[in-house]
Amino acid sequence: MTELQSGGGGAGKAPEGAVAWDAPDAPVQDIRELFVTLGKAFRAYQLYDENNPVRHRFVESLRQAFARLWEQMGELTLAVEEDRLRLDQTEVYKAENRGDSLAFLFYKDGIREISFRPGIEAAELERFLGVLQRARKLLPEGDDLLTVLWEEDLEHFSYRYVDVLAEGVSLPVAGPGNTEAELKSVLQAEAAEADAEDEEAAQEAGGGGDPPAKTVSQDDFNPTLYSLDPREMETLKVELQKELQRDLRMDVLSALFDRLEEPERPDRQSEVLGILSTLLPNFLSRGALVPATHVLHELRKLEATPGIFDEERMALSRRILDEVSRPDFITELIQALYDGTIRASPQQLANFLQFLRAGALAPLLRASETVDHKELQAVLRKATKGIAERNRGAVVRLLEETDSVVASGAARMAGEMQIAEAGPALAGLLAHSDPSVRLAAVEAAVSLKASTAASALQNTLDDPDREVRIAAARALGTLKYRPAAPRFADIVQGKEIRNADISEKVAMFEAYGLVAEEGAVDLMDKLLNGKGFLGKREPSEIRAAAALGLGKIPGPAADAALRRSAREDDPVVRSAVNRALRESE
Amino acid sequence: MAELNFQEEGKKVLTAFYGTLSALKLYPVENDTVQQALTSLHAVVNAIVEKEGSAEVRVVGDFFFLNETRLRLDLSNFATFGSFARALQDHGIGAVEVLPGIQRSEWAPFVSMLLRKPGQPDPFEVFMDRFAGAPVEHIDLRPEKEVEDPGEQSEEALTAAKRTYAQSVQVAKDVLGDVRLGKAVNVRQVKRAVQGIVDQVLANENSMITMTTLRDFDEYTFTHCVNVSIFSVIVGQRLGLEKIHLYELGLGALFHDIGKQRIDHEIINKPGGLTDEEWQELKEHTTEGLLQLFRMHGFADVPYRQMLMAYEHHMKVDLTGYPRNTRDREPTLFSRIVAVADAFDAGTSVRSYQYNPWPPDAVLKEMRDNPKRGFDPLLVKALITATGVYPIGTLCILDSHELAVVSEVNKDPDLLHRPKVRIISDPMGVPLTEPVTMDLALSDPATGRPARQIIKTTDPQKYGIRVSDYLT
Repeated sequence: MTELQSGGGGAGKAPEGAVAWDAPDAPVQDIRELFVTLGKAFRAYQLYDENNPVRHRFVESLRQAFARLWEQMGELTLAVEEDRLRLDQTEVYKAENRGDSLAFLFYKDGIREISFRPGIEAAELERFLGVLQRARKLLPEGDDLLTVLWEEDLEHFSYRYVDVLAEGVSLPVAGPGNTEAELKSVLQAEAAEADAEDEEAAQEAGGGGDPPAKTVSQDDFNPTLYSLDPREMETLKVELQKELQRDLRMDVLSALFDRLEEPERPDRQSEVLGILSTLLPNFLSRGALVPATHVLHELRKLEATPGIFDEERMALSRRILDEVSRPDFITELIQALYDGTIRASPQQLANFLQFLRAGALAPLLRASETVDHKELQAVLRKATKGIAERNRGAVVRLLEETDSVVASGAARMAGEMQIAEAGPALAGLLAHSDPSVRLAAVEAAVSLKASTAASALQNTLDDPDREVRIAAARALGTLKYRPAAPRFADIVQGKEIRNADISEKVAMFEAYGLVAEEGAVDLMDKLLNGKGFLGKREPSEIRAAAALGLGKIPGPAADAALRRSAREDDPVVRSAVNRALRESE
Repeated sequence: MAELNFQEEGKKVLTAFYGTLSALKLYPVENDTVQQALTSLHAVVNAIVEKEGSAEVRVVGDFFFLNETRLRLDLSNFATFGSFARALQDHGIGAVEVLPGIQRSEWAPFVSMLLRKPGQPDPFEVFMDRFAGAPVEHIDLRPEKEVEDPGEQSEEALTAAKRTYAQSVQVAKDVLGDVRLGKAVNVRQVKRAVQGIVDQVLANENSMITMTTLRDFDEYTFTHCVNVSIFSVIVGQRLGLEKIHLYELGLGALFHDIGKQRIDHEIINKPGGLTDEEWQELKEHTTEGLLQLFRMHGFADVPYRQMLMAYEHHMKVDLTGYPRNTRDREPTLFSRIVAVADAFDAGTSVRSYQYNPWPPDAVLKEMRDNPKRGFDPLLVKALITATGVYPIGTLCILDSHELAVVSEVNKDPDLLHRPKVRIISDPMGVPLTEPVTMDLALSDPATGRPARQIIKTTDPQKYGIRVSDYLT
């Protein structure tokens, strides 16, 4: 077997007072209990997160177990076998199941001896348990326990291991040296060369001056030419700090993009594009939005530069930009932003989102409508609008989305962006099953001033949803859509309006005033001032709404109608009349 | 009782020594600053003595030891520690051992004596004469000559270095072979090899430098990777890099030429000169290295730093060299270290397209003095502090006309040009039955002049001299 190698802090050095393996008075029972406790602490370490009190309790128990042991011995060194640990010939730990076995965990990576020393229970216990946990999860092609232990560099735990690297490797052996003839030839040749050089130098110098030095001047050696002075060390110290804090991803990306600009190597371009497509999610999973944005920025720039990509490479590049616009990607992105995996300033996020394509619109719209983080919502809305502006047709298509949130968002966007061609689709949305979509469509129709939508708006005056009815009335009023006047006349005289709340009443009467103008004065004058059968007037709210409706009509007729109720006893009516008069003035 | 943290305590001791030295340089012993410094020094050292039975500070080459622990220096404290080391070394003192019973009153005479001008011709002897009369009973001193790093120069150390070196070359062979064949690389094996290199450099630097003299043309590709890794780690250590960063550096250095495995084998191994077209193709190895490292899995993270070392190691500090850049770039410090290590090893080796390598000292001189080479001058200096002016393996002719091979660097920055050598022949060229090791820093007591000096260095490979036969 290959001889054992040492690893870990203080390897191979036993402090004074250490108990050797075969110490007859070793506290075997305490060591066994220590490993039972270690097993429990390790399980707790795996199961619970670092703030969990259960984990703390088990780790504390282990700490105490070590402390008790150090009262009896100075170091604990154990032999590692496949399924057990031994103190000399005494078994102190055994596990049948390899999956749970601490012994096998060490054994499988070549460790054949482990040593714990006082101090491990203080600063290094959690790190030691962390090493074991990492070792459990290692991938076959990656680290093993030895590499992990090396990286952790524990001071109070050491180990000896079988070095598999050494198997079959022969050590270099010194040769016999050179023969006398060989060594003489060196001296002779060098002496001859030196003579020739001296002669040449003497001729060149015209017989004066010293020949050029072949070696460092032994007497005038100047160490500052050869070794670092404190100022230079300080410079390097600053460089080192800078190096360790540097975001190397940007350097690697610059290298990749420099090489991507070489159309004469299309295969390499494909390889680089493949790398970029894997780097992108990698960056984002680490929250690195800036380099991710850089990738998108550079790709778009190169796509726009003639002669860089042939058709095949162009398709590969576009695929990367398309990938980040996919709905599932956007959903992931929003989730990462929301849960803090990606921490970015609004500007950084906006910079990233500007590269997204039409495919990202629906998920972004959904997110911007639903996310309950104001700042994030604002950024998403701005980005969505940016994409929408570059893809107006996509916005119209989104009006047909079955997802209500997306459809309503698209409707609002179509209104804000004055996408005239969205009119027919908006009219269709007025019959959508979801009231929020109908409402958004109404609002959009107003913004658009879309005549196609306005005619459909009349039907919405009967909408089962109060909000939609009110919005539709206001929309038609704002649009001054005269064809709706008879419909409003019916409404203000109908039974339903009497059961509606004051806001809806006001909305209907005001809209009637706006669309019918003077044509509405007689009817509203009658409702405000007229007496019905048995001299009974209309209810206060109807009269007040009629007053406000009259207030929307310019001209002396409406004014006269209002003034007739200016001294009204009913405070609700009087207040509405006065307000209407003020507005009409 | 709590375990002593030697790293922490060691730094405190050295800082306290430095503080006391500085205070006594400026003020009389009665001054408050001096008194406070003495109190602090006594408290720190006495605490260790009480716990450990004694406290010994040793200076071995560039390293400090507190008892058996080698202290990790970094760029934040090297000047403090260096100043203390100089104070000891001026008097030829290699170790200061403080014994139980030390009194506060013993420190002032001892530290004051360190500040006196060193005596001649043997500073240690003079110091001990003075010291014998001082009221100091619990401080023992040992001369520099007697203090050796237990890890250095022993047979055991050399064997350990050989083992690490041979394993690393084997790993390099396996890895590069796997890459050429398109097979998955055993990253674990690579990591273990580099971790071994870092351990050996930290424990046994001289022996590891010695290993780099094992030149084997057939194995050049592999030994070169390992040598560059070793030299890079050595430079990194001079810069105070932590172990984990030394590992990163060593790993990237081992992989620096991995891109060559994706270049036509015939170009790589073509004897004689390359055509322009072939040179252009060969230059692509840096980009190919970057791309190849993206293909390698098993690292905890994407190895960006290693990628940049592969990509940038032929870039000069003015960004000429190759590959060319169109975007802003500043080669990383690690890449610049690898560039220096690569150039030094390549310049001193026989390769398929370089049959006449330069002597190591000439390579270093060229790297340092010729700005067109484009190396970071401070990093070249850092390499020279590790290799000396005449690196290990340099074949030299002494002023006695004996032939000698440099075997060990003098760690004193003022004596970088006076290494230890193995004299291999007499002035007539007759081989010595047993090569003699000589420290060129030693003076002839009769003349006060160096006993031997190097007058010329030459290329061992030109004459078929296998320097490693005399070193390993």
